[in-house]
Amino acid sequence: MEKPGIGIPFLEGKYSPTLDMWPLEAKEFNRTHTFYDNLKEGKFTTTKCKQCNYIAFPPRVICPECYSDELEWIELPKRGKVITMVEKWGGVAICFEPPLIDAWIDMGESSPVKRLLSRVINCEGGQLKEGDEVQLVVFDVPGHPIEKRKERIIAERVFFAFEPVK
Amino acid sequence: MSKVNACIIAGDMCKWGMREASYIDLAQEAAKACLDDIPGVKPKDIDGLLFASTFVGRRSCQANTAPVVAERLGLRPTSICARVDVLCAGGSTGILLAKGLVESGMSEMVMVSGCEKLYTPEMWQVQYDEIASIDHDWDGPNGMGPPPLWFSMIAKEHMKHYGTKREDLAAVSVANYGYGLTNPKGHFQKVITIEDVIEAKDIAPPLGLFDCCPLSDGAAAVLIASEERAKDLTDRPLVYLRGGAQVSLHSISANWPGEHLGDWPHLKLAGQKAYASAKISPDEVDVAQVHDCFSISEIIELEELGFCKKGEGGSFVASGQNKVGGSIPSNTDGGLLSSGHPFGATGIRQGIEILRQLQGRAKNQVEGAATGLTHNLSGGNVEHTIVVYGREPNK
Repeated sequence: MEKPGIGIPFLEGKYSPTLDMWPLEAKEFNRTHTFYDNLKEGKFTTTKCKQCNYIAFPPRVICPECYSDELEWIELPKRGKVITMVEKWGGVAICFEPPLIDAWIDMGESSPVKRLLSRVINCEGGQLKEGDEVQLVVFDVPGHPIEKRKERIIAERVFFAFEPVK
Repeated sequence: MSKVNACIIAGDMCKWGMREASYIDLAQEAAKACLDDIPGVKPKDIDGLLFASTFVGRRSCQANTAPVVAERLGLRPTSICARVDVLCAGGSTGILLAKGLVESGMSEMVMVSGCEKLYTPEMWQVQYDEIASIDHDWDGPNGMGPPPLWFSMIAKEHMKHYGTKREDLAAVSVANYGYGLTNPKGHFQKVITIEDVIEAKDIAPPLGLFDCCPLSDGAAAVLIASEERAKDLTDRPLVYLRGGAQVSLHSISANWPGEHLGDWPHLKLAGQKAYASAKISPDEVDVAQVHDCFSISEIIELEELGFCKKGEGGSFVASGQNKVGGSIPSNTDGGLLSSGHPFGATGIRQGIEILRQLQGRAKNQVEGAATGLTHNLSGGNVEHTIVVYGREPNK
């Protein structure tokens, strides 16, 4: 008799969104996929209401102020200053390499998104400090399969973080 | 028709920690402990179940959990049988919902059970799963989820704006671990000093090991019944559910509602709403169980709940005002720091301690305690939940 394997052998190579740390960004699963499409072009964007001009972040499919669904995409600033930050070396979740560096970033008075929490990458441990300037950086993350009838395609993905301005 | 008042009439917890047990085992242990607290009540007397658990669907693969729990506990709910998912505030939310069900006349006696089995066969999942506990698509990929990062920045901001000291944070841990020594069912029973806290392993500076509550397996249960039923079932002093509030102003960290991270206006608002609903002021609260997921949390909570001036929480705890004999005895059973934190069960543990305090049978008794309060924050500090208990009903 064949020996049973460890874990769940029949799921080897299978994808489950419940264990995915990244968003489902593809248009097949996300009506705000434009955010990620724009991100691929280096643009940091969100939705603005055409009725009441309210700018919401994160982007959405209705205006949270007036419930209009007539929205347009606008660009957001991509530079900010570190208000405070933290470095974690131990006990970092399996999805990140230590040091995991996070910053609370002041995006400026004129920005519709005043402050943002973000991971800071392309940065050695012990370097980042309060007041440092940081900028948006876009990077590739693993794609995921989508089944369409008998076809299986791979949806490519990106995400964003910030990095020190050199 | 006269108003129906809801009372908390019994409660207890199972042993919390890293348990060699399934979630459904823990729920059974807590239900037995709860009914042992009120001899005479049988499972068939209970007509409603609210089961607070966030991770049971993810770490134990059980959706639609409430009927499974009801069956294993021998309950036959006829008024309500539902699961409540508000992460760290699930238990308190269940208690608030049970209050409404009893006062409306829909339920006669509701068991509110809270339970988490957080430790998984492979340990990577314990931290990794936390990406589901915050705004997943936006904060998760940025390292949020495991909360020490966020609360480290909160602590730094509070220190910067108000001069809070490292020793002030440590004072919270020492006080709560001290009370935890009298709670054998809590996760830890350990004597620690200010030096131990400051010299402990860093988790996310300035927070060290003893500034952070552990993740725990565990369950707790309480019974909520009408005042009339309560009088029939127990000779102990009645403890009424006087009021409460639950406030959520944002989800993603970018929409943080405060001026800075040490400013928690959503908690201030929850406090004001809860005090108004219970028709009391903060100075009428005799004992409080506040959500000390981190040492800094308790300091800010005592401020925003109006127990001390904004910005003075550090010196307030350093001078022992949060201890029995001080102006607002807090976390008198060890809090989250020492008792541990099985998310959905935490608010229920807090309610049990207030029940005991108001009935005069707590281990660290506040003499003459007549009004008590519990508070939870949940997720990435995106929701605040308060329950007010009293020896007198709401007028």
